[in-house]
Amino acid sequence: MPRELPWMLLGSLLNAGMVLLLAPLGEGVVRKITARIQSRQGPPVLQPYFDLLKLLGKEDIESGQWPWAQRFAAYLALAASLTVAALLPMGFAAPLNRGADIIVLIYLLTLCGVCTLLAGLAAGSTYSLIGISREMMMMSLEPVLAIALLVGAVHARTFHLDAVLGGAVYAAGGVPWSGLIMLGVVTGCFQALVQRLPFDISEAETEIMEGPLMEYSGPKLALFKYASMCRMILYASLFVGLFIPWGSGLAFPLGWLVFWVKVGAVVLAVTLVAATHARYRVDQAVRYFAGLLLLAVAALVLATYGW
Amino acid sequence: MTPEKAVFAAILVCMGGAVMSLGAARRRILAGWLAFTAASVSAVLVGWAACQVLVVGPSADRWAMRMMPKLGITLGLHVDGLTAVFLALASILAMPTALYSIAYMPRHREYGVARYYPSFLLLLAATYGLVSATDMMWILCVLWQLMTLGGYLLIGFENRNAQSVRAANRYLLLSELACVATMGGAALLATGGGASKHEFDTISANLPALLTDSPVMAAAALALLCLGFGIKMGVWPFGQWWIPDAYVALPSPAAALAAAVTCKTGVYGVMRSLLWLVPPEGWPHYPVGRWGMVVATLGTITLFTGTMQALKQEQSKRLLAFHSIGQIGYMLLGIGACMAVLATPGPEAQALAAAAFVGALLHAVNHGLFKGLLFLNAGSMLYATDTQDLNKLGGLMRLMPLTGLTAIIASFSISGVPLFNGFVSKWAIYTGAVQAGGSVHYLPVCAVIAILTSALTLASFIKFFGTSFLSRSSDWVSGRAAGRGGLEVGPLMQIPQVFLAGMCLFVGLTPATTLGVLQTALRASDQGYGRLLAAAAPTAGGPLSGAGTPGISVYMPLAVAVVLGVMFIVGRRLSRLGAAPRRSAEPWLCGYVREAECHRYTAHNFYGEIKRYFRWLGGVPRRSSRGPAD
Repeated sequence: MPRELPWMLLGSLLNAGMVLLLAPLGEGVVRKITARIQSRQGPPVLQPYFDLLKLLGKEDIESGQWPWAQRFAAYLALAASLTVAALLPMGFAAPLNRGADIIVLIYLLTLCGVCTLLAGLAAGSTYSLIGISREMMMMSLEPVLAIALLVGAVHARTFHLDAVLGGAVYAAGGVPWSGLIMLGVVTGCFQALVQRLPFDISEAETEIMEGPLMEYSGPKLALFKYASMCRMILYASLFVGLFIPWGSGLAFPLGWLVFWVKVGAVVLAVTLVAATHARYRVDQAVRYFAGLLLLAVAALVLATYGW
Repeated sequence: MTPEKAVFAAILVCMGGAVMSLGAARRRILAGWLAFTAASVSAVLVGWAACQVLVVGPSADRWAMRMMPKLGITLGLHVDGLTAVFLALASILAMPTALYSIAYMPRHREYGVARYYPSFLLLLAATYGLVSATDMMWILCVLWQLMTLGGYLLIGFENRNAQSVRAANRYLLLSELACVATMGGAALLATGGGASKHEFDTISANLPALLTDSPVMAAAALALLCLGFGIKMGVWPFGQWWIPDAYVALPSPAAALAAAVTCKTGVYGVMRSLLWLVPPEGWPHYPVGRWGMVVATLGTITLFTGTMQALKQEQSKRLLAFHSIGQIGYMLLGIGACMAVLATPGPEAQALAAAAFVGALLHAVNHGLFKGLLFLNAGSMLYATDTQDLNKLGGLMRLMPLTGLTAIIASFSISGVPLFNGFVSKWAIYTGAVQAGGSVHYLPVCAVIAILTSALTLASFIKFFGTSFLSRSSDWVSGRAAGRGGLEVGPLMQIPQVFLAGMCLFVGLTPATTLGVLQTALRASDQGYGRLLAAAAPTAGGPLSGAGTPGISVYMPLAVAVVLGVMFIVGRRLSRLGAAPRRSAEPWLCGYVREAECHRYTAHNFYGEIKRYFRWLGGVPRRSSRGPAD
């Protein structure tokens, strides 16, 4: 292992760097487009970078009874997101391809959510706790994505990251029914995975004031915001890896560029949906997800029969 | 000394310790130390036996002390690899729980310890015996009665508390039922004659004939065995009948021992009777695939119902008890998946079966580590705050940091967060269950339910840990802490918790070591399907390298840990970039000056939607005086 480790680390840092670099840009584009759809001017596209820089210099107010937990949650939130980046192929093989498989990926994605929960719990205000209770309910629905990965894994007959995240969902004999169903299902719940409207129930600014993050300010808030922006890019990458594999296999600079173009396209699509929908209530969202989950399980069964 | 003699000596030491602690029961501390000494000596003996088997191999001739040949009884003990794993688990848990008891039992000052320490040692002795007995009839019966007696006395320890007595009675009834079922199964299987007709080896040798002549009889016998062991380990629906009430009534260290070790005898029994009993000659007539389907389905139902009901709990030990049922489901799913896949010939299927089985076995060990730790954590909370009610707790992290730290390690472990031990075993089970989808179509669905349940487990433990250790101090906790600096428990209770947390981390970070041990154990357990599984067990390299089934799965926790660590440093550096000043303040309550006790968001309020959706699943706590949830 020690011999492979430097390369793993280098690749991971490269992926993480790209995500850190592009995440605020994605957010800026999202804000701009949302504003235009709602007939507003909107902030400049680079505004999220300035926001983050500003937050990093602001006073850091800790309201929890045990601030260590708050600090830990903030650092871990970004760290977990960036570790996920190391597990995704972003124009070239996933850096941690030989150190983790898709089961690790599924559970690491959950870990990203856990940090927000810990943050809310550590702050301990009633509003944060309502937020984390809601957030956890959203996370319980994350298995939809897990099923999409498993459909790929069943088709690919392996859990290896590169094999599954290379369009394996379509690797069926004849019409790839399971892959197509999963494409529909994941598209249907993508907004919830990246916690955008109409599924940003756990933050719900108008009801519970940002939920879990209500008590956070300054650098810690910057980290959480940054992690949330990264989340968008990461899930878009995951979506591209799972469902839009075409062109990613090209030689290094070309395939890499194609990959980021595709990610950009997914982010744009997300924005269009988010800007035109109102937030669901918790019970509406749960019912919607229950339907999607059943559909996803059906797709998995189809996949086991080789369809 | 052979391993068998060591185990027998350990049982005798426990018995002797029981008598001595009974004699010294008037002096509580002395009785505690006596019991601890007995438990430690027995743990060393048993641990030595397990090491001996793993390093040297099982002893060739099965050492048997013939007691009453006329009645067909031989006191047969045999330690092979599979037994060694469970013995090792018992030996790891025995010392911490016994040590913890010494400092914990003063909590129950109004009850004498004469019922506690002797029963604790009886339970331990019975556990050692049950996983190494080869006689499936009378010896098993005697040991089972020993376990039932120990368990009954421990559950009914608070004998002036009506609820405890009721729980103890129900346990007694179900445990006896399980004993009868197991004995019935053994009686049906014992077709041969002679003094050793109930010996495991004799039954195994006669089984192929029975499987061809009367498959219905064989199936009924195996079903009875599974029923008996299933009741013991708490499979749905039997688990829900006795486990929650019993674990709440048990004093915390005894609950740790019972949940972590004693209920594993059921898992052991199922593994032994469904996989080890059938020799290769009987395989063509043994419907292993159908049995696998039954076990996997039961496992999936158990893990989902147990965890979903756990999500509704607001009492710390009750919550943990329901999770015990849920986690047992994972082990059953692993065993079931293994058997279902074994019906398909070929090396690839065998590798998957081995992965699922090793996952189940490792999960039994892991569950022992983290559930033992969790019950000790719950005990510390109970000791410090005098309540099991999560609604009354909050902000304990500041007051008992060490317990909190170990509790979060245990919570992450049981929820299957990567880098902790629960993940490794679940990952291995999923490997088998999902990749077998090509031939066994229902297994991936079971795996998905298990993954979903794993998220529910996480939800439940976020609630467990968050509402008790994080959040804000409740009036109750502040009242307890007032006048004292903190609520942290003494070193005698801290050491066991730290030890078990360390074990969780060790297994989680270097799974290759543990998987290697399990592989050795399988190789030293050369019988029935065990031989096949040993040959196909997932490869494990050196302690630093990863684990995985070649071509299918790979997990290198150290690499993931290094990357996560580097990213953690990146995050920390980033947050310090602006050199922002830090200040602590009260939380903002949207204009209210002070948070009233009735406005705290407590355990009761969590996950209202999910609880409402699954109300039909039952397990709702009786006391619900608070208003509707969010």
